[in-house]
Amino acid sequence: MSPELYLSIHADEFPAQALLRLRTDLAVQPVAVLDGHPPLQTVCSLNRHARLKGAALGMPRLEAEGIPGMHLLARSLEIEAAARSVLHECAAHFSPRIEAVSLSTACSCVLDITGTERLFGPPETLAYRLRAALSTAGLRASFAVSSNFHTARIKTVATRGITVIPPGHEANALSKLPLAVLDLPRDHAETLTIWGIRTLGELAALPESELVARLGPQAVVSRDLARGAQPHTFQPIEAEFTLREFCDFETPVEQINSLLFIGARMIDCLAARASAHALSLASLVVHMELTGGRIYRRPIHPALPSTDRKFLLKLLQLEIAAHPPQAAVLSLTLSAEAGQSSSVQLGLFAPQTPEPSRLDVTIARLKAIAGEDRVGSPVLEDTHRPGSFRMESFTVRTQSNPPTPELASPRMALRRMRPPVPVRVQLNALEPVAFRDRQQTFKVSAAYGPWKTSGCWWSTETWNTEEWDVLAETGTGAPVACVLVRNCTIDQWQLEAFYD
Amino acid sequence: MPSASALRIQIEHSLERRFPAALSPIPRTIVETAATSIPEVDRVLNGGLPVGAISEITGPVFSGRTSLALTFLAARTHEGCVCAWVDVHDALDSESAAANGVALRQLLWIRCKNAGPSANPWAPLDQAIRATDLLLQAGGFSALVLDLGSTAPEHGLRIPLATWFRFRQAADRTRCSLLVLAQQPLAQSSAAVVLECAPLKAPSGNQTVLANCGYQLRTSRSANPAPLSIATGQRKPPASTWLATAASQRENRGPLRQVFVSGMVEASA
Repeated sequence: MSPELYLSIHADEFPAQALLRLRTDLAVQPVAVLDGHPPLQTVCSLNRHARLKGAALGMPRLEAEGIPGMHLLARSLEIEAAARSVLHECAAHFSPRIEAVSLSTACSCVLDITGTERLFGPPETLAYRLRAALSTAGLRASFAVSSNFHTARIKTVATRGITVIPPGHEANALSKLPLAVLDLPRDHAETLTIWGIRTLGELAALPESELVARLGPQAVVSRDLARGAQPHTFQPIEAEFTLREFCDFETPVEQINSLLFIGARMIDCLAARASAHALSLASLVVHMELTGGRIYRRPIHPALPSTDRKFLLKLLQLEIAAHPPQAAVLSLTLSAEAGQSSSVQLGLFAPQTPEPSRLDVTIARLKAIAGEDRVGSPVLEDTHRPGSFRMESFTVRTQSNPPTPELASPRMALRRMRPPVPVRVQLNALEPVAFRDRQQTFKVSAAYGPWKTSGCWWSTETWNTEEWDVLAETGTGAPVACVLVRNCTIDQWQLEAFYD
Repeated sequence: MPSASALRIQIEHSLERRFPAALSPIPRTIVETAATSIPEVDRVLNGGLPVGAISEITGPVFSGRTSLALTFLAARTHEGCVCAWVDVHDALDSESAAANGVALRQLLWIRCKNAGPSANPWAPLDQAIRATDLLLQAGGFSALVLDLGSTAPEHGLRIPLATWFRFRQAADRTRCSLLVLAQQPLAQSSAAVVLECAPLKAPSGNQTVLANCGYQLRTSRSANPAPLSIATGQRKPPASTWLATAASQRENRGPLRQVFVSGMVEASA
């Protein structure tokens, strides 16, 4: 059995990192994150640029505002939770056993990487790959590998970059670290300071029995931690896989392009996370909080699950453009459902069909042009009402053997007038002999009918009509054939369709 | 005495600057066509409507334009192809489409907004052109019908020739048959085929249903411009008798070829 091996990840200044993960435009700007209730807000986290400008943790808001060029953001626990889940997901790609050990504003976790050498190579390689994965997700962290859980955890808090501690060298690796990394009880820390103990190496060198006699049995734990010999029972967490990204804005956003800037980054993250699980994004839900307490929610359903960033972003853009939010946006949440990646086997001799993802974008654009309910496939209703149909969304059905009914013989087609044109009809022996619409008079040469239809008497959709097929001549002598309908309920004639 | 080939080369060489290969025959390419499922029309069109080109079906109301377009779409959807109908005036009757055999699930119908006769006539036309552009660019549609049948010619003629040229290029690239239903030719030189439709005869009044309506088709830009006539079946009474021998009459108008379809086909020279 291979010896235990732990990899610790420590992302410091996590509130700032979580906020800047989606705000790439602020990545090179000094940013400080404020926590607390106004007016007693203080800086709880900051990035490197802010530190170089002179900002520091615990600095009051007024003082931080005085630093030129400083961007102040409010802390968001929701964004931090989303970023933390991203970090855990990235870590879960390398080991399913993860224990969260977060401290104050940092996000830390320890991975049990025992036995992963054959999968990912040496621990150092694994750490480099994990760092690259986190960097892609917009997070920065330090890493330490050790055969002792606590040694890895302590080392990663105190150092930057990647540190690999060989087995048996735990005490040496920790010896130069300050006592502050141990989070000792205050009285112990004060006593050790009085004794002149400054580093873990000095603490580890103290004799155990004398230390217990002076500080009590708790001191043994601290000494073992300093020696890198403290045992630990691993308590793995269940890494939850939820595809959700959240961003709240410090000022209400009114421009769609600004939303899409954030949305693009969110889609990137969601697609990358889904891809890491060999999945695709089957649907997206856009959720916005608007000023005035209103909520905006629109689902987006691609024809096929996809991780194509451009395609999903275009769908998002078209959806928001077709249904713009009615007020300024306070926060944007993008959640997704994962689906199996599509794989379609096309036939060599199958007829050409539109590419599903491209068709999605085309139909969204067509809906933006013609209207939401005016693009799709017609479906005949199960009713005797003439001309009744409904529109359904158009999808390309890939089938190896399409149904091949016998082709019908050519029949006279109708061109419907929507809405029907009211006409004045002249009757002779209850048959139309002439009718007039808004523009011209038609002289009827032959009238066939009436064909009486009625139905839905039990609802408001009731109809009771007489239908006439009429051959007529226009004022210029051109023949036309049309359908005249008399609404028997209100005794009104309408020109409903032309034969063509 | 120089040989014929030497003489040809000499003439071609002298005219080279103005007419490259003046006397050499232009290599002919086989034009891909899609059958309309009306044998007589296919025969006149040398196999059917061209694929990857614009075909115009023109004529007044009651000239069979819509019937012919639906028959063509029925044939295409019957083969499993996907088609689209860009409806400028929201005039398509889905029942007629289904009765002609169009698989409605494979038909994308774009109903341009038409706020009434008093509304701006350019709005639906603009929508239709943009929609057609999008569909042609998207690709994958075997046939696309741009229905300008109810659009006044003075409006249709305002569509720039550059638009038709763009449509032709896009249709050629995506191998889409673009059918334009209009009252008169609009696409000019961009159209590969122009079918001129006209009502052929009025049915006699001694019957109880409207039937035996005949249509006359004339092709231009075709190797065989001989006129052709088609008669469609009756619409009523109910569907059980729709497949009855509807068009059984035959007219003889001198040199015109009279052809009746729908169950019975007769032809004469």
